[in-house]
Amino acid sequence: MSIIQVANLKKSFGSLDVLKNVSFEVDKSEVIAVIGPSGSGKSTMLRSLVNLEQINGGSIRIQDQYLVKDGGYASQQQIKAITSGMGMVFQHFNLFPHLTVQGNLELAPRTVQKLTAGEVRRRSQELLGKVGLADKSDAYPARLSGGQKQRVAIARALMLNPAILLFDEPTSALDPELVGEVLRVMKQLAEEQMTMIVVTHEMGFAREVADRVLFMDNGEVVEAGTPEQIFDNPQQERTRTFLNRVVRV
Amino acid sequence: MSVEYLVKISKPMLEGAGTTISLFLIAIALSVPLGFLFTLMSRSRFKLVAGFAHTYIYIMRGTPLTLQLLFFCFGLPMLPVIGEFLVMDRFVAACLGFVLNYAAYFAEIFRGGLLSIDKGQHEAAQVLGLSRWQATVKVIMPQMFRVALPSVANESITLVKDTALLYAVAVPELLHYTLTAVNRDFNLTPFVVAGVIYLMMTLALTLFFKFLEKKFKYE
Repeated sequence: MSIIQVANLKKSFGSLDVLKNVSFEVDKSEVIAVIGPSGSGKSTMLRSLVNLEQINGGSIRIQDQYLVKDGGYASQQQIKAITSGMGMVFQHFNLFPHLTVQGNLELAPRTVQKLTAGEVRRRSQELLGKVGLADKSDAYPARLSGGQKQRVAIARALMLNPAILLFDEPTSALDPELVGEVLRVMKQLAEEQMTMIVVTHEMGFAREVADRVLFMDNGEVVEAGTPEQIFDNPQQERTRTFLNRVVRV
Repeated sequence: MSVEYLVKISKPMLEGAGTTISLFLIAIALSVPLGFLFTLMSRSRFKLVAGFAHTYIYIMRGTPLTLQLLFFCFGLPMLPVIGEFLVMDRFVAACLGFVLNYAAYFAEIFRGGLLSIDKGQHEAAQVLGLSRWQATVKVIMPQMFRVALPSVANESITLVKDTALLYAVAVPELLHYTLTAVNRDFNLTPFVVAGVIYLMMTLALTLFFKFLEKKFKYE
């Protein structure tokens, strides 16, 4: 049973059609890698799932609830409830610079879920341990490397126990030598059966970790399939052209 | 120039400095929150509210503070019908003038602070489920104040010096007692003493804001 169903998604900025007719489904515990050239609409598609972008047409159904049905949005309250099941990790981390690592993790559970300090502290320590940053809980983001920041951002997203994690180019802002530590955490989450959609330029990660790969170009899903199908035997000319331009994996 | 003379002129001047400091504290305590309110209003979705804030800021920044002080002290009571209810103690009227004027400047300083905050901060807060209000209070405001701090420090120091405008509405403060002493004794020393007192006040402020900046460095 699919946990996310996207049908005929349309989005335009003025006269520019960013998403033309995007449809796909994601099963529970599936890891989807979304690849494609810049400006193909990958990020817009991902952001529309958590209501960071408003779409102009189509439907988004998440955990059996319609966020948007045929272009009509659910009520504010429903939107909040639906999107609360998803966590998001951004390209530029978007950590809160005025809070320590621990403060970043604990802000939402404390203010939104009103959990007690003790519960929240246990969970934040556990998650920081999981991403290998137990010793950084009192550090401010300014003192962390890019890779560490992104691992904190992943831990922060996990604090709310999301059913689905979305990653918007999580390693694109990192120095090459820091990419591995972030991908390792993501791989571990995939092994723990987390449902993930990852917009990425890391073809190695897409091939190794993803269950399915979506290739997007020009606001459309051009081709979708297993990593083997997409990388070794692409059916579409546009997919071949793109893969020839990026480093072969 | 004897020590006795210095003590003699310093006493009323320090009393005057007391008035200066009272005005400063009242003005800063009220104009900072009022200014922030205007910042929020100027970003309101309701055009009328935003328009009011913009007009207010334009008028208060676009006319001299001296004119505003004269208006509050001497102009308001001249208004027909309601004028007689608007006769205030001149110190109170002056405080009102300073608060309303500085609020406009602080509003613009905070607006600048808000503009400097990356939209990713709003997005992260939204995705984490924070309401608009929670995001403003817990995420945006602390960062905005940090960015605005150097400008607030600058404006506060200007405020200390602007208190000398009380002279124009005949509220006795530091400058008033200084001039009295200069005219009476035909001596420049009171000017120097006044300068030193102003410098001490601004030094205290400078150190205070340096402390705040260090405290809120977030490193």
